Amino acid sequence: MNSSSKSYGIIARFNNTASLLHAAEKVRDAGFRKWDVFTPFPVHGMDQAMGLKNSKVGWFTFVGGVTGYTTGMLMIWWMNAIDYPLVIGGKPMFSPFFAFPPSYELTILFGAFGSLFGMMFLNRLPRLHHPLLKHGQFAQVTHDAFFIVIECSDPKYSETETRKLLEQTGTPHIEMVEE
Amino acid sequence: MKSQASHSPLDLSKYRKVPAILMAVGGILAGLGFLVNPQQFAFSWLLAFMFFLSLGLGALFLVMVHHLFDAAWSVPIRRISEQLSTILFPTMALLFIPIALLAPTVYPWMREVHPELDHALHAKHPLFTMQGFYIASAACFLIWWWLSSNLRGWSLKQDTTGGALPTYKLRFYSCVGIVLFAVSLSLGAVMWMKALMHEWFSTMYGVYYFAGSVWMTLATVYVITMILDRQKVLSAVIHANQYYYIGSLLFAFTVFYSYITFSQYFIIWNANLPEETFWYLAREKGTWFYVGLVIIFGHFFIPFLGLLRIDLKSVFPYMLGVCIWAWLMHFVDMSFNIMPILHPDGFVLHWMDLGCWAFMAGVVATVFIRKFAAHPPYPLKDPRLSEAMGLYHDMPDSLAGEHVSHEAGRQGGKS
Amino acid sequence: MAANVTPITVPEPPRELRRIPLVSNYHSFGWISDRVAGLTEGKTPVWWWILFVPSVSLLGLLLFMLSYQISTGVGVWGNMHPVMWGWDIINFVWWIGIGHAGTLISAILFLLRQKWRTAVNRAAEAMTIFAVMCAGIYPALHVGRMWYDWWLFPIPNTYTMWPQFRSPLMWDVFAVSTYFTVSLLFWYMGLIPDLAVLRDRSKTKVRQFMYGLFSLGWTGSNRHWSNYEKAYLLLAGLSTPLVLSVHSIVSLDFAVSQLPGWHTTIFPPYFVAGAIFSGFGMVLTLLIPIRSIFKLQDLITMRHIDIMCKVTLATGTIVGYAYAMEFFIAWYSGNPSERFHFINRALGPYWWGWMLMVGCNVVVPQLFWFKWFRQNLVAVFILSIVVNVGMWFERFVIIVIGLHRDFLPSSWGYFSPSIVDMLTYLGTFGLFFTMFLLFLRFLPMIAISEVKGVIPQADPHHPMGGAKVHDVIHEKE
Repeated sequence: MNSSSKSYGIIARFNNTASLLHAAEKVRDAGFRKWDVFTPFPVHGMDQAMGLKNSKVGWFTFVGGVTGYTTGMLMIWWMNAIDYPLVIGGKPMFSPFFAFPPSYELTILFGAFGSLFGMMFLNRLPRLHHPLLKHGQFAQVTHDAFFIVIECSDPKYSETETRKLLEQTGTPHIEMVEE
Repeated sequence: MKSQASHSPLDLSKYRKVPAILMAVGGILAGLGFLVNPQQFAFSWLLAFMFFLSLGLGALFLVMVHHLFDAAWSVPIRRISEQLSTILFPTMALLFIPIALLAPTVYPWMREVHPELDHALHAKHPLFTMQGFYIASAACFLIWWWLSSNLRGWSLKQDTTGGALPTYKLRFYSCVGIVLFAVSLSLGAVMWMKALMHEWFSTMYGVYYFAGSVWMTLATVYVITMILDRQKVLSAVIHANQYYYIGSLLFAFTVFYSYITFSQYFIIWNANLPEETFWYLAREKGTWFYVGLVIIFGHFFIPFLGLLRIDLKSVFPYMLGVCIWAWLMHFVDMSFNIMPILHPDGFVLHWMDLGCWAFMAGVVATVFIRKFAAHPPYPLKDPRLSEAMGLYHDMPDSLAGEHVSHEAGRQGGKS
Repeated sequence: MAANVTPITVPEPPRELRRIPLVSNYHSFGWISDRVAGLTEGKTPVWWWILFVPSVSLLGLLLFMLSYQISTGVGVWGNMHPVMWGWDIINFVWWIGIGHAGTLISAILFLLRQKWRTAVNRAAEAMTIFAVMCAGIYPALHVGRMWYDWWLFPIPNTYTMWPQFRSPLMWDVFAVSTYFTVSLLFWYMGLIPDLAVLRDRSKTKVRQFMYGLFSLGWTGSNRHWSNYEKAYLLLAGLSTPLVLSVHSIVSLDFAVSQLPGWHTTIFPPYFVAGAIFSGFGMVLTLLIPIRSIFKLQDLITMRHIDIMCKVTLATGTIVGYAYAMEFFIAWYSGNPSERFHFINRALGPYWWGWMLMVGCNVVVPQLFWFKWFRQNLVAVFILSIVVNVGMWFERFVIIVIGLHRDFLPSSWGYFSPSIVDMLTYLGTFGLFFTMFLLFLRFLPMIAISEVKGVIPQADPHHPMGGAKVHDVIHEKE
């Protein structure tokens, strides 16, 4: 590789979930911040092993849902009782009963948008480029490989100490990733 | 759960007399009530009866559905439902006797001198005759007796024998049982509750009673599990996920009940046919209107919002509150169904309601505790017990036994 | 925990009651990728073309029929007084019902922690989306002048009119469009990690670009997984009430009327159960041939088939309860119109429709109580088609029998479909199968990352999670 290119981080490969989980616990306990675990599927218990907090996606869903329900009720009330009142079947101009089905659907629709876009926002997706995607072995992450990456920009990062930490976890393979 | 493993077992011995006191006080009030006002007594008794019947039927459903789904997580708590379901016979059947005897004071259709002149009643011949009423009631109890005793019996047998045969038997009874259960529950709800206004009809009514029943039973099972866990009776087999799952089911049935209730109301409201709307109109009179609102908010919104968060489903004091609330709401719901016939002008919380309820609560609690104490607290040799305990997970060897975990490893490695 | 609990012994399950693994033969993670992603790679197989060409031809037929109908008018259909809803609404309800199994598998079974769903959810969700597309055609067209369809949406127009929300038709508009959108979102979100799998395996630039674009730069980061899983759970939590509400609202199209046979309170849950029933019928119809053609027996095992048969049985029986309850309450109500309607259902001129409905939906599925039937693929396949026939006739019974003899005997009539009705219906199969075949060819038909997550090796606490089993032990032919 070109010697002028900056390093992105250090990558360690693991072959099974148990060793990955224990390694992640070690990295967490060492106090790193800018590091991540890469897996082909969500590994049960990894959030705790990494010390991640509960995801915030729920708030996006909740706000979406409340917005949807309010929109539905207000829209129907305004359209059928205020702006264009019309007597149909002897029913009241507005009633929460008949306004319920559409409002309910809007709750779900907006809530679903909130969940998907909330997830994408929190994950900063879509992104067209990622340093790791260039890395040769990394393509295996969607196949059967497990990786831990510690970024050079982490304040605790040091070329030798971090490599030593990862070596202690029993990984068969450690490498540097270029930016 | 793990945090309180270090605590000493919960001691409830000072409350040991509570069921007996309930029975005595309730019995005196109910007996006095019967002398003072037999009609009020009969309605109060019916209210309490339908309330506790829910418990038995809900428990029976939980047992059957466990076998039908071949579920594992609910094995450690299945004995609770099994024992609860056997209150259906003979306890509930005996408690039905006052209703059977006082039926004409409760059900207006039985008092009609010329039943052939009432079209809505005449059309229901021969089901809506005295014989029809007694035969239908007896049929319900017989079905429940057969199902609950066999479902408990084979489960207890498995405790001693182990093996696969009891599991197959239990599945058989559940397969046949779920069909019979659906029919008998609907029939019971129609004959004992819907028949209070016999002109009214709704195809949803059986499902409606079912939804409320399972809801309050789940709350009850949650509390019993919690108490037994704290008494160290179930703590060896219970994980945190059992609480989470019952809590989730409670949440699901909160929604299901509301869905059913709303659909029934909404369809009748929209079609606006007088032959159906009068049932709801009677329940909008006076303070009944506010009882309806209490059901909308208390039976749906409060438990719905209260159970929305995942972590709260495992917080015991909080969930105890939710479960007590569920009992209260089911009582209000049953009251909303039964009492407007006797008190058309508004909701009345009569002392006899409390007396009959207390008496039955005492009886049911005594019977349940006696039955539960007489047998192992969970199915000892159920084939799914090891899975329910999460033996492949964080189970120490001293608990699981070397044997099982090694077997699992070997099974996994084999082709 | 261990220190405070008295040791107990737990028996090992008897041999015949052991759980069968979800993926047979203990395959590795990589094998799953290779097997599923491989289906979209390489040369297009001949059988695919053999199926695709007729499907596209039928799609052409659909477009022709729709053009003919739009240019001529709804009179080309068999709908005639008093049966003003005919095959259009029957097919609408039928198709949208089929979609429900997809959402049930993807959302409700996810909430119920039913791990077996991972092998079938992707295909079932695809089925949902395509079935809703077929369904959506009908309400859009049955209004007659479909260029006014936009009046259904709350969009300001020059007449300063608004749609009026007391009509169940409006509820339908919201329900179906939400259902389609949310199903698509849910499906796409599930696809993101698997599209990344395809991206990382791509050999050609076009594939790399396309899969790369739609996988949004997915890296499998656990920080991403954490948000992703939460969002997936929430979408499942939203889709569950959604799927219940959609068919409930469809049922309200009927139930809020005052017509005997339509106006009955049990309709919402009964329609939902029926929808799931028919949907599982369709899932079985699709997956049984697919698993043989694609040799996916290790992923879609007999256990999966067995469970789906049981769901079909359960929902069919619930539908049977509703049929029985309708008859019982018609008798119980003493309402002469109600009673006449139900007698007319069973004994009137369309008695055969009613017989087919009860026979196919309630009686025949009872065979699934027997293990032999659930384990016999030919029997399951035939029964799955019977289920779909039965559910079509259920809608036929409700709509046609409900309408053809109303309160006034002088206006009674007899409905017969026109050739346009039939060819349009046939054409919707063209749309459905064209879409489904394209899906099979270009997208991973099994949720790769989800299946990886349910095999024992995925569990870091499982003995097999620590010692990776090396690749295929033997591949079943």
